Amino acid sequence: MNQTQSLGTGQPSLLELSMPRYGMVIDLKRCYGCYACVMACKVKNHTPPGVFWSRILKGEAGTYPNVVRQALPVLCMQCDEPSCLEVCPTGATMKLDNGIVIVDKDKCMGCKYCMMACPYGARYSVDKWESYFPDGLPLSPYEEFAKRAWEEKSGVGVATKCDFCRDRIAEGRDPACVEACPAKARTFGDLDDPDSEVSILIKKYRGEVLNPEFGNKPKVYYLAPR
Amino acid sequence: MNPNVNGQLQRDWGWWIAVYLFLGGIGAGAYTIAAVNWYLGDTVSASTAVGLWIGFPALLIGSIFLLVDLGTPTRAVLAGMKPSTSWIARGFWIISVFMVLALLHLILYAFGSVGQTAGGRVILNLVAAAGIVCAVATMAYTGILLGASKGIPFWRTGAVPVVFVISALVTGHFTIMLIALFYPGVTAEAIQVMSLEAAALVVLEVLAILFFLQAAFKTPDPRESALRILRRRSFVIGYLILGLAVPFVAMLIVYRSTGMTQLDGRVVIVAAGALLGLAGGLILRQSILVCGALPTLNIAGFEFRRIARPKDPKPGIGQLPPR
Amino acid sequence: MTATAQNRIEEDVWIPTCCGQCYCMCGIKVRRQNGVITEIEGNPDAPAGRGGICVKGIASSHLLYDPYRVNYPLKRTNPEKGLGVDPKFVRISWDEALDIIVEKLTECRERDPRGAYFQATTTQASEIRFGVIGFMKGFGTPNYWVSGGGLHCGNGAHFMNGIMHVAWSIIPDFAHCNYALNFGCSKGHGAGHVAVQNATQAADARFRGFKNIVFDPFQSAQASKAHEWIPIRVGTDGAMALGLVNSLLNEHGIYDTEYLMYKTNGPYLIRPRDGRYMRDRETNKPLVWDLVDNCAKVHNDDSVTRVEYEDAAHEVALTGTYDIDGVECRPAFHLLKEHVKKYTPQYVEQVTGVPAATVSRIAKEFGEAAEIGSTVTIQTSKGPKRIPKRPVATHFFRGTQGHVNSGWTCLSVDMVNHIVGAADTYGSAMGLGAAVGSGYEGTGKPYQIPYPCPDGLLVAKTWVYDHVPYPMRVPKQPTRLDLHDMFPTSIYNAFVITSPRWEQILQRFKIPYKPDVMINFGSNSVMTMGNAEAVTENFLKKFNFIFSFQLYVTEFEEAVADIVLPDACFLERYTPAVSFPSTFSHPQGEDDWGWSIRQPVIEPLYERRDFNVVMLDICKRLGILGAYYKGLNNSIGIRYGGEMDEKYKLVEDGSVEHSWEDVCDRLLKDRFGEEHGLDHVRKRAVFTWPKNKEDVYWKWFNPSRVPIYFEYFIDSGEQISKLWDEYGGKDFFDIDWSRFKALADWYPCPSHTETSSEYDMFAFYWRAVMHCNSMTQQNPYLDECSQEDPYVYAVQIHKDTAADKDIADGDHVWLENPQGHRVKGWVALTDGIEPHHLAVAAVAGHWGSYMPIAKGKGTFFNDLVEMDLPHTDPLTFNQDICCRVKIYKAD
Repeated sequence: MNQTQSLGTGQPSLLELSMPRYGMVIDLKRCYGCYACVMACKVKNHTPPGVFWSRILKGEAGTYPNVVRQALPVLCMQCDEPSCLEVCPTGATMKLDNGIVIVDKDKCMGCKYCMMACPYGARYSVDKWESYFPDGLPLSPYEEFAKRAWEEKSGVGVATKCDFCRDRIAEGRDPACVEACPAKARTFGDLDDPDSEVSILIKKYRGEVLNPEFGNKPKVYYLAPR
Repeated sequence: MNPNVNGQLQRDWGWWIAVYLFLGGIGAGAYTIAAVNWYLGDTVSASTAVGLWIGFPALLIGSIFLLVDLGTPTRAVLAGMKPSTSWIARGFWIISVFMVLALLHLILYAFGSVGQTAGGRVILNLVAAAGIVCAVATMAYTGILLGASKGIPFWRTGAVPVVFVISALVTGHFTIMLIALFYPGVTAEAIQVMSLEAAALVVLEVLAILFFLQAAFKTPDPRESALRILRRRSFVIGYLILGLAVPFVAMLIVYRSTGMTQLDGRVVIVAAGALLGLAGGLILRQSILVCGALPTLNIAGFEFRRIARPKDPKPGIGQLPPR
Repeated sequence: MTATAQNRIEEDVWIPTCCGQCYCMCGIKVRRQNGVITEIEGNPDAPAGRGGICVKGIASSHLLYDPYRVNYPLKRTNPEKGLGVDPKFVRISWDEALDIIVEKLTECRERDPRGAYFQATTTQASEIRFGVIGFMKGFGTPNYWVSGGGLHCGNGAHFMNGIMHVAWSIIPDFAHCNYALNFGCSKGHGAGHVAVQNATQAADARFRGFKNIVFDPFQSAQASKAHEWIPIRVGTDGAMALGLVNSLLNEHGIYDTEYLMYKTNGPYLIRPRDGRYMRDRETNKPLVWDLVDNCAKVHNDDSVTRVEYEDAAHEVALTGTYDIDGVECRPAFHLLKEHVKKYTPQYVEQVTGVPAATVSRIAKEFGEAAEIGSTVTIQTSKGPKRIPKRPVATHFFRGTQGHVNSGWTCLSVDMVNHIVGAADTYGSAMGLGAAVGSGYEGTGKPYQIPYPCPDGLLVAKTWVYDHVPYPMRVPKQPTRLDLHDMFPTSIYNAFVITSPRWEQILQRFKIPYKPDVMINFGSNSVMTMGNAEAVTENFLKKFNFIFSFQLYVTEFEEAVADIVLPDACFLERYTPAVSFPSTFSHPQGEDDWGWSIRQPVIEPLYERRDFNVVMLDICKRLGILGAYYKGLNNSIGIRYGGEMDEKYKLVEDGSVEHSWEDVCDRLLKDRFGEEHGLDHVRKRAVFTWPKNKEDVYWKWFNPSRVPIYFEYFIDSGEQISKLWDEYGGKDFFDIDWSRFKALADWYPCPSHTETSSEYDMFAFYWRAVMHCNSMTQQNPYLDECSQEDPYVYAVQIHKDTAADKDIADGDHVWLENPQGHRVKGWVALTDGIEPHHLAVAAVAGHWGSYMPIAKGKGTFFNDLVEMDLPHTDPLTFNQDICCRVKIYKAD
């Protein structure tokens, strides 16, 4: 059940019961680390250089010849008990009823405390928008568009992060990273619905979260390679 | 995984925050020393006077550095909105209250004859008491604030507030000493007493640092940062050697020397020792910030470290293929 | 704080088209907002991709708007050419550029039109089937190559896969395969044809428990997802494969007799004195031995033929000795079985580094997983039919075939499939792109049902080139500058044209003309071929005039181009057919057929123009449009699955001028009907129709056989060597004709026989998922991902090896080959590589001045690739791209 505060009765309200609790499942057996999710997020959200709301880490285990490499897609875990929310001094970071954690860019003062607090490294802030072509050339129409899109949606001088593609979800679509994945490694849905694909996958393949000891109760689950 | 590759360090809290921590520490530390002296009956000595004069300005200037570090400084007024959970919000109130009290204390002390009356003394004592509480909170809260960052295990060992408080007292004391050298009527004995106090405080700081490092070495993620900081030349040379060891020796020399007069050349030793100690205090804070490394992420038996590699191109690569 | 400018959206459309960052041709949808291309996603309507898209496709907006794109025609003002020379390009008008080009081509034609040489990129696979073919035929030149594309990845693999599967490459039937042996092949793991589709299918397969056993010198993406990673020495896959064949045949006794009897030339009786087929005196057809009637029969006699699985037939001999008119002969399979005995597990271990016990074990696992004898019923267009189920596959691609043993290695790896009957049937190794197609119901096109030659062997109905891979064409007296008319086993070679004695060779082989004008479309042959200096000095500088259609000024243009034309990228042009020609890149499996087109989502920016539009313009100015159209009309048939109807053919007498859109429209209407022209297809950018299941699993519906005994290579070799000797070719190149034989063998590369202990490391390159060909490092999105990745720009080395050599992680190093060529890089230490190997990714290490994002990233591996004969496969003329190097720290 979700953890949002109710009206003080100790029971979730009807409104809260009807709200989904959005989460994601990433199947590490399917994922082969192709960066499509990284790029889909980057282009859809027009993130500037160095900002990766969705990123991939590469790990290696074992000694030769018993070695395996594994790619790990990482994004904002949309935690149920987010550290970022706890440390935010202005209240800019909020958790919506559907479980998505967002930043109100008009309240954020850019102290970057949330970036220190997030153990998953999911937050980014830029003081100045930068072009991908660093030679002082006039911006291309695409970069002009991207700059305005970034400043409008996310902004400079504030903390930014993945928001599970809220606008796409509102249209009934999946987040960009989920749709782009060639290996179909990512699934998005309502963790509170036992019949949703995410719930079934987590149950059947024993989905785990990253580093549960952080205590943030992340809502992105991983299926171990098996 | 390759042990030679460093984990990714946090990149966002750098010099501005370090300078705030430094100046904030000096201001709160100097004020604390001054206010404690006050309670112990000394209301007129250089230590007390200088300390009270340092408190508010240092915090004020320090706060400017805090503002500069913000991405959107115009919204700094919102910084106190969530003291229920956020240490920055709490800090906003702590340093605001502290600055008011320190300023009030300074004004009442310096510009009024309040201290001469019995009632005035009561008020000043109350202000001082509250001021000390806020000063200690100011010295300690930044360490606690860092410790609330789950993203940086190096800061969560519990030792950081201890280090910050003691270092604040040390740097506050050194600042007082530096300015006291020029205070009218300061005696050589007073300087020598301050030197002894300084040496003692440095010893405390060494213990605090040892405590901090041993705590960091206990688990793999903070150990990563501890190794980084010990390999950092500015930390070892600028802080451990020039910032602690050398000032310690300098202070002892001055304390133990006899027949020191006001215009003695040994004054230079005091000044040099204090300056190095101050520089070391700044380097300490900056090093702790900069060496904060992100934790490894673990799943399915894999350890994922966010690797920071040198970026290409470096000179030499990208030339014509060699003939 | 001032209010930031916002995007006030007045236009917001999604336009379907086809990606062109690589040759996979995934369907995409491109978002245009206020006239700006802002986002790219997969197109769920297209079977190629089905909504998925890779990192390169998504990053395409930076390709379109890159400020370093060539936007205006450029002319070289510095007459000096070569590496490191400043070309001093100046901007000129299109008119001036075309005037100069036409002038040079006219002069060339007057001297000898064959002096024109077309160099093209493999990425835009279909564009070149029009502009290049039409020009070559219209102008009258046979000279063509695709630099690295053909020689690093193509000559061996495509040729051999064409013989064995009438397809460009092979892939497991991921939907139903259970166990596959992957020889260093990234198909399904980020690269290769139909990359996105394969990735989806491979991931689905993994999800249901499919086991991929990967032979690879390092932990590639495929190795990291493997059920078992088996490190193998680079270039020894052929030995491993023959070891598996031996183990299956002679150790475990596992092989599919039905398949071998009726679908291969295994039962063909072989004459001992010269290794040729025993032939029937009257019909001249190869003979087999009927075990029921106990006599010899021609191979396609009804009594010994099973086309469909449920046909009945007599069994024919696979082993034994049989007397035919006094000649004691044996079936080819018997010879193969004996021949592979020398590939013992111990020998294989010595060559490959794979433990002998592993060879034996894998063979057994593979053989058992093949479920020989099992069948499955599929629903064909003619009702339910039973076909063999063989849920195993071996597959390979560029890495495996990029060696001096290329041809035989490809055949050996595939042979493992044929031994157990796992070819083009349910669950097995399949031809990729989809090899067989009955055509669209209304028109019957594209039609590509293969058929048997008179000897019964598989012949492709459609192919990418004029000459199908089999039957071998007869070597001809050379007319080409690479002498390749003499070499029927492949398409081009490098050792002739990059030889320092090229001019003398041409004289000796009586080529009466010289290299004159080179037309380049999109290739950077200075970087993609081999040692840059050799390519530039020995080959490229011999041309009088070079003009190039390019997206960027690459190292090629800097070094040798006289004119650079601003090419439109894939977002700015029409292509009427992308996933065809023939069997190039279409998803395998039971999903629909899709014929994708590419359409512009934006008018070409600045003065960019579409290559095909410009080629039509040039041909018009040269007065050869009629011949151009004729050339296209003639080549459509073999390339796009069926001859053109007269109604849609381009008018060959030159009385009508066809625009490029008209060409596109006519082709589409011809393939799919009058109502399915360009206007219709524009709406979805793909035309789909259902596949027949018997076209997917076509093996047991087709009367053709495949060879496991390559009898015709013997003839071919004799023909070529005879012709070669007539010219005294041995004075230049002593080609090992013994490779032209019937039975597969593994041959070592120069890197395996290098005697100097100083060069103790095997270096090779691998395909990084975010890079394709040589320009992707210039895309800052892709460059940024590469910098985030620990391996893409690095030289990977085993951490113990590095420690021994006193090399630390991140150190700059030199890799130097025995010929003295060296390249620079920085190392990443890892456990995931065989300790004597070094892995470098991509065509990287750019040095050009005009691609600053790419400059200096990664290592220019190809400079270590020698293009001489010792580094060329004598059978296919594929390039050898492994080398021995020494590695040492750079200052």
